[in-house]
Amino acid sequence: MFFKNFKYTFKALLRNRGLVFWTIAFPLIMALFFKMAFSGIEEKETFDAINVAVVSNEYFENDGILKDVFRTLSDPENEDQVFNTSYVEEGEAKELLQDGKIDGYVVFSENAPKVFVTKNGVNQTIFKFVVEEIVQSSDTADIIQAKVEKMFKEQNSGGFWNTLGMIFAMMQENRSNIKDISDANLSYMTIEFYTLVAMACLYGGILGAVSISWCLANMTNVGKRLSLTPVSKIKLVLSSALAGYVIQLFGIVLLLILTIGVLKVDFGNKIPQIVILSVAGSMAGLTMGIAVTTGIKASENAKTGILIGVTMLWCFFAGMMGVVMKYVIDKNIPIINKINPANMITDGFYALYYYDTLDRYMTNIVGLCIFSAIMLAIAIFSLRKQKYESL
Amino acid sequence: MENIVEVKNLTKEYKKKKAIDDLSFDVYKGEILGFLGPNGSGKSTTINCILALLNFSKGKIKIFGKEMKPNSYDLKKKIGVVFQDVAVFEELTVFENIDYFCGLYIDDKNTRKKYVEDAINLVGLQEFKKYYPKQLSGGLLRRLNIACGISHKPQLIFLDEPTVAVDPQSRNNILDGIKKLRAEGATIVYTTHYMEEVEILCDRVIILDKGKIIASGTNDELKDLANIKERITVETKDLDNNHLNEITQLPEVFEALYEDGILKISYKNEKNNLENVIDYLKSNQIKYRKIYSERPTLNDVFLELTGKELRD
Repeated sequence: MFFKNFKYTFKALLRNRGLVFWTIAFPLIMALFFKMAFSGIEEKETFDAINVAVVSNEYFENDGILKDVFRTLSDPENEDQVFNTSYVEEGEAKELLQDGKIDGYVVFSENAPKVFVTKNGVNQTIFKFVVEEIVQSSDTADIIQAKVEKMFKEQNSGGFWNTLGMIFAMMQENRSNIKDISDANLSYMTIEFYTLVAMACLYGGILGAVSISWCLANMTNVGKRLSLTPVSKIKLVLSSALAGYVIQLFGIVLLLILTIGVLKVDFGNKIPQIVILSVAGSMAGLTMGIAVTTGIKASENAKTGILIGVTMLWCFFAGMMGVVMKYVIDKNIPIINKINPANMITDGFYALYYYDTLDRYMTNIVGLCIFSAIMLAIAIFSLRKQKYESL
Repeated sequence: MENIVEVKNLTKEYKKKKAIDDLSFDVYKGEILGFLGPNGSGKSTTINCILALLNFSKGKIKIFGKEMKPNSYDLKKKIGVVFQDVAVFEELTVFENIDYFCGLYIDDKNTRKKYVEDAINLVGLQEFKKYYPKQLSGGLLRRLNIACGISHKPQLIFLDEPTVAVDPQSRNNILDGIKKLRAEGATIVYTTHYMEEVEILCDRVIILDKGKIIASGTNDELKDLANIKERITVETKDLDNNHLNEITQLPEVFEALYEDGILKISYKNEKNNLENVIDYLKSNQIKYRKIYSERPTLNDVFLELTGKELRD
């Protein structure tokens, strides 16, 4: 009975064009689109140094580290120059900002530095981010300097998108306190591909949702019929979920082959670990779909909508629509990305790419397993119901 | 007679409103029991309670002498259900759908193969085995729905309005199939709001209204409950009010109505009524196009018991 249900659920899922499109074809199309879009941007886009000002007060003038860092970042001889810095009095900085001649200025003091900007754009975000990182770092002046040099000088090619990639790298590095980073350079495009794989893993939730809805009498007519067969609900649910999971893994493998094998996106060389992370990520997606289907009282369409919405939100927080968002969430509401499965997947890829040890990678794998276990617990709690009040 | 289903004092409430009100009845082995009632009378709810899909407030239900529970897998093996809404996979062909549902009951491959073929032949879908449900007409889809419910050759079959919105050809095919199932030994519970089907198929009928049994018995027993015993219909255009008054005075006439060229005469008893009417029409030189006599229908019984038409 288990195999019979698995076989036909598998067939039915695979023949459902809408499902196959969203869970398999759509990520593949997105991968091609990403490659075309970001390759072009990375090649053509040049990064212009951001005009900023530093208020040259007593505190700044007496702090050698701050002065050195800003000098390095603002060195016109450096092909990866980030800032074009003016050292002025506060009144003049204010005027420059009001006249639109600079994107922001910073006032250093014994307390937290104050960054002044008139609007929120990418330039302003980079400026604020760099200032915060310099000040909050507990590293010695030498290490900060070394890091800054590493991040802004060792990029293979300069450019706006690579700079965002660098910010992502710096952010991850500070959070993990791992210092022995490799010489690898993570491009913005690769980060986008990480989030794409994360999205594909979580989209598998739709497969979980549909396959389980076919087993539930209060969800579908087929579910009503299946509830009256001499097959236990747990057997039906497990075999149906397994069918969805196999299809999802098939889609993920196709995506990885296209991304790594065909489009030559550099995911590093730890392929078995990449596959294991994708398997764990897919499990998180599948169980999330099952939990939403069983745990929420809504129509089938509403549940699919919720699932897609939640997946996109997770991916948004993980940096799919701009890595700056990931930074903002990590800085301001870190709990969100700690429980965000999309973030665990992208962070796992990053850890595999950047670090020689697997500690951080394993943390993400365990996180995904815990997330899946919680989702399963919600589903099992909801599935305990044997009879319904109405159908 | 052996009881296959026993229902005692079944009551089901939705938010303090009684959907089923103290129903008690038995289903005997080998019979077709009809549940007749308008939409919303509680037919489907009763079946869902019997099948342990719905919670109920009170009452006891036994099938094959055992209490029916959601995990009564031994009982479920003997039961087949055809719901009002078509319950098949859109992504599987006719053959695959039947094979799938049959396979959840029958392990042996050869037996299953035979059962699937039997089910396809029973509902007349031989030419459509490789069709997907969306390629089938409404009638053929209903037939597939039935085949999926009975392919494992159950001893007890619940058919919940299986002929809703189907063409006459498919309806006849479905009704013939149900007769064959009974002939093969199945006990059938059949719900419908089509009284004609009940009259053709069912050995006994339970009439439901607002969750209550308002009458039960064989067709003849139910029709005896009506005051009207015979109805004669005459299609004529030569009638005036005087004629209508005189017809009302004829022996045993309960009621006479004339509207749009059709005269309907109801009788309290069946005593040469047709002969009397023909004699009257001849003696008054009234020409008529058609004249026929009918026994009262279950709709008449329902009308009399509830004051409303069955299809209201």
